[in-house]
Amino acid sequence: MLEIRAAKKTFYRGQPDEKVALDSLDLKLSAGEFGVVIGSNGAGKSSMLNAVSGALVLDSGKILINGDDVTEMPVHKRAARVARVFQDPMKGTAASMTVAENMLLADLRSSSRRLRKGLNAARLAAYKERLSVLGLGLENRLDTRVDLLSGGQRQSLSLIMAVGGEPDVLLLDEHTAALDPRTADIVMQATVRAVDALQLTTLMVTHNMQHAVDFGDSVIMLDAGTVRLEITGEAKKKATVADLVSHFTVKTDRMILAS
Amino acid sequence: MDFLQTTIVSFIGLIPVTLAQSLILAFVVLGIMIPFRMLNFPDLTSEGAFPLGGCVCGVMLAAGVAPFPAVLAAMGVGFLAGCCTAFIHLRFRIHTLLAGILMMTMLYSINLRIMGKSNLSVFGSPTLFDNVPFAQAGFPAAKIVVAGLFGFVVFLLLDRFFKTEKGTAVRAVGANPDMAEAQGINVWAATIGGVGLASAFSATGGALMVQSQGFADVNMGIGILINGLAALMIGEAIIGKKTVLRQLAAPFVGAVVYYQLVSLCLAAGMPPPDLKLATGLFVLAMLALPSLKRTRGSAPARETIRE
Ligand SMILES: Nc1ncnc2c1ncn2[C@@H]1O[C@H](COP(=O)(O)OP(=O)(O)OP(=O)(O)O)[C@@H](O)[C@H]1O
Ligand SMILES: [Mg+2]
Repeated sequence: MLEIRAAKKTFYRGQPDEKVALDSLDLKLSAGEFGVVIGSNGAGKSSMLNAVSGALVLDSGKILINGDDVTEMPVHKRAARVARVFQDPMKGTAASMTVAENMLLADLRSSSRRLRKGLNAARLAAYKERLSVLGLGLENRLDTRVDLLSGGQRQSLSLIMAVGGEPDVLLLDEHTAALDPRTADIVMQATVRAVDALQLTTLMVTHNMQHAVDFGDSVIMLDAGTVRLEITGEAKKKATVADLVSHFTVKTDRMILAS
Repeated sequence: MDFLQTTIVSFIGLIPVTLAQSLILAFVVLGIMIPFRMLNFPDLTSEGAFPLGGCVCGVMLAAGVAPFPAVLAAMGVGFLAGCCTAFIHLRFRIHTLLAGILMMTMLYSINLRIMGKSNLSVFGSPTLFDNVPFAQAGFPAAKIVVAGLFGFVVFLLLDRFFKTEKGTAVRAVGANPDMAEAQGINVWAATIGGVGLASAFSATGGALMVQSQGFADVNMGIGILINGLAALMIGEAIIGKKTVLRQLAAPFVGAVVYYQLVSLCLAAGMPPPDLKLATGLFVLAMLALPSLKRTRGSAPARETIRE
């Protein structure tokens, strides 16, 4: 379960280029809920995810994971509960290290690292199996440095790394945006499979309205740092791309009028 | 012909002495490599940590402390110096190079304070090189055996360490700090510990050097960093840096080859004062090479991540 209470964040406060990223944002995801986050550029989607992961320190407000207040917890401590995949495939993996070493790092996300051999036979076998699910052949490239993989392969690896260890919250920030349509599809299918199988509480940001319609239990539309609209349950099942786009249009009109 | 002969004869005569010296200085090269390559933390602390280790060891030997504890003490203070550099960088967001310069400047005063004077003779004090079977005390063979063995043990331990869970985490901090943090790794702890460890090795080099040469001097660090960097580059050019094993072996191989090259230059009649200029030009050339290669042909293509 994830709860964001009255989250506020302003960049460059008091300066002429002041930017309100989060404006008293409230959001509640029940355990196992898959929320799809949409909204125009600069709406605060990434800021919200960063606030959950701890990368963004809030001016005020609270973040609760499974009922525990984690607002003051630094990123590396929160990592035991929160896993994420970034938009940029470079960001989520250690380029100069091997596929297996990256898997090891993710594997130890929620446990303490000790002075014993990292990559033992049992772990290598487990990683092989987990990677084979993707069907990209990564399971045969455990010793390959990650910087030799394609963006799609890296992103798929990031995903497998993130869903391993069953995090309490999974954050996906436009994680298929940098990929070609076919690879994006592979990564998306793998995402849905993992989220369903493990019942992960998930926030996925996307600009792809088809994805927002096809996947997830709810659609959360952000605008100017706050939740403008939440579509859940039956309404979500019935929603179409046109519906979602119309909400953007309304907003855009309002913005034009305001300016 | 005569010139060639005298050059070769004097070079060969110096090989053992140079080898002993290079095996000691390999610790400094290791202390430069770890922050630079493993932590992506270009660091200059070694220029201060090397004399620091030397001064601490010298004072302890003069006070009658046994040679091995004296080296351990040097390691300890070296570790603290490295921790300080890393902390200055992390806490105050000061560039790593500037943090290193600050530390080495402050260490100069500290080193003087530790010794109470700029030069301290410990000639006649017992050293680690005294009790080597079959080797006469004070001769290169003893130093080669002791420094070589010590270096080999450190090399093996480090190779082990960087393959443990903790060691892998430390490398991740160097490879991608944001990712490391998102994987639950304490970036501060890993950076401070890693840079501290590196400086501990630089200080070890200083301590061994003092035992080898019989005196400690606050100026013994001048230029050591560029020498170490040159050695590291040679080592990496010879055995590469793609795997942890190679990366860790590079400082040792590089130090041995580099100091033999220096010795060869000196034997060929290069005036010693020109040595720093030559070394500097060499490092510059090594650093410039990739960019020279790139400007030929197409414009330097930035690595992209998109497919
Ligand atoms: N580090 C930062 N420094 C200054 N301003 C920032 C920073 N991060 C975000 N902002 C500002 O906060 C607002 C929200 O940005 P955010 O990145 O959360 O938007 P987003 O919804 O993710 O947009 P996009 O769809 O383009 O990714 C924007 O106005 C942005 O300029
Ligand atoms: Mg964004």
